[in-house]
Amino acid sequence: MPAACAVAEPDANAMLAEALAHDVDRAFEDVVIAFRQPIVTFVARMLRDDARAEDVAQEVFVRAYRALHGYTAERRAELRLRSWLLAIAHNLTRNAVRDAPPASDSLEFDDGTPRAGLTDGQPGPEVVVLRAEAWQSVGDAVAQLSPALRPAFVMRYVDDLSYDEIAETLGQPVGTVKASAHRGLLAVRAQLEMNDD
Amino acid sequence: MTESNLRDYRDATLRAVSPNFTAKVFAGIGVDRYTNCSSAIGDVYVAWSTPGVSAVRLAGDERTFEAWYGERFGRRAVPAIEDDPISEAARAKLRGEDVTVPIDLRDCSPFEQRVLHTAAEIHRGNARPYRWLAREIGAPDATRAVGNALGQNPVPLLIPCHRVIRTDCSVGGYVFGSEAKRTLLEGEGLDLGAVENVIGHGFRYIGHEEGYFCLPTCGDIATRVNTTGYFGLRSIEDAHAHGLSPCGTCRPIAA
Repeated sequence: MPAACAVAEPDANAMLAEALAHDVDRAFEDVVIAFRQPIVTFVARMLRDDARAEDVAQEVFVRAYRALHGYTAERRAELRLRSWLLAIAHNLTRNAVRDAPPASDSLEFDDGTPRAGLTDGQPGPEVVVLRAEAWQSVGDAVAQLSPALRPAFVMRYVDDLSYDEIAETLGQPVGTVKASAHRGLLAVRAQLEMNDD
Repeated sequence: MTESNLRDYRDATLRAVSPNFTAKVFAGIGVDRYTNCSSAIGDVYVAWSTPGVSAVRLAGDERTFEAWYGERFGRRAVPAIEDDPISEAARAKLRGEDVTVPIDLRDCSPFEQRVLHTAAEIHRGNARPYRWLAREIGAPDATRAVGNALGQNPVPLLIPCHRVIRTDCSVGGYVFGSEAKRTLLEGEGLDLGAVENVIGHGFRYIGHEEGYFCLPTCGDIATRVNTTGYFGLRSIEDAHAHGLSPCGTCRPIAA
């Protein structure tokens, strides 16, 4: 499965971290460009609220910037940027979910129609309508996962992050992360099977 | 659940990012950006913040520009990687396209803002005297202050302070030098040779037999003197003696 967060390859991460170590301000736009889409996407999936996703994602970067200025150059050079940013996003979305009014069970897309994906060769309208139900069922099932399971499930099975990276992001032991992702997978599967009955 | 269900979910929930996402982040962190743009007088640095373009300066040494910027605005500007809607608008405007560019004049005094907003209304191919601008903003005795305010214009070219010249139609000073000012005015279609010819003959205005009179820098009117219907005038009194009314576009003042 290709990684949806594969914007910044390890080498790119090293170059960015090195640039950040040298001059946070001059390197920061590169960081935003490299990670804005994965972060906005992650936040949107966690919040199930497209309208707020960009605002929260922007706040992720603002907090990241302030934190970077508090770090030594050595610490900045050693950052694993993707998991570090996802950790900030995770914390912010956790707070945002807690502060928001309860969401409905279904995914909150504007008019129920799926947005076209960002991949090339987008399917025509008929195909999109036929396939919509399947992915929306997944979305509904993801939405019903508890806050404890959802981030691990999405990072592992949707974004294809490694367990090490997820553990770093969530600040949990690898074993806990594996268990959460797996329990999330079982729960999503069970929900989908229930829908099929 | 199949792999394709998950893949569809992943693709369908991938979020595109709006064009001003990075700009909003930079607004949040209080850092401005700048980029290199082509202009009629060569490459310039264009810096911008959330409200709009904050500075235009001739391109050269980045560190020198950044030091100047920090000194003047108390904020840091760093080289931009991507354009956003503001810098794209500035780039188009500097190419000569007729687009609106948001400008950030927060660091200018209210007086400077009035001067600059009025200067921004002078159209391409035209020029107006400093004293004219002083009158337009309701401060007819403040010609020198108007000149100083134009000299402090943070966004030359985008706010066309080069279109403000001396009452005798000599071009006067400019942040990028008087030669650049001439180049710009002529590039915009103002025939300075024709204007100087009018002034050289002792005329300060140009009248038209239809009953109005203009400044010699009102569009291309200077090129028409001594053609059918157009004639030079030495003074406002001269114009009044001919029973002429001031042009509604250039609103001539006493020389």
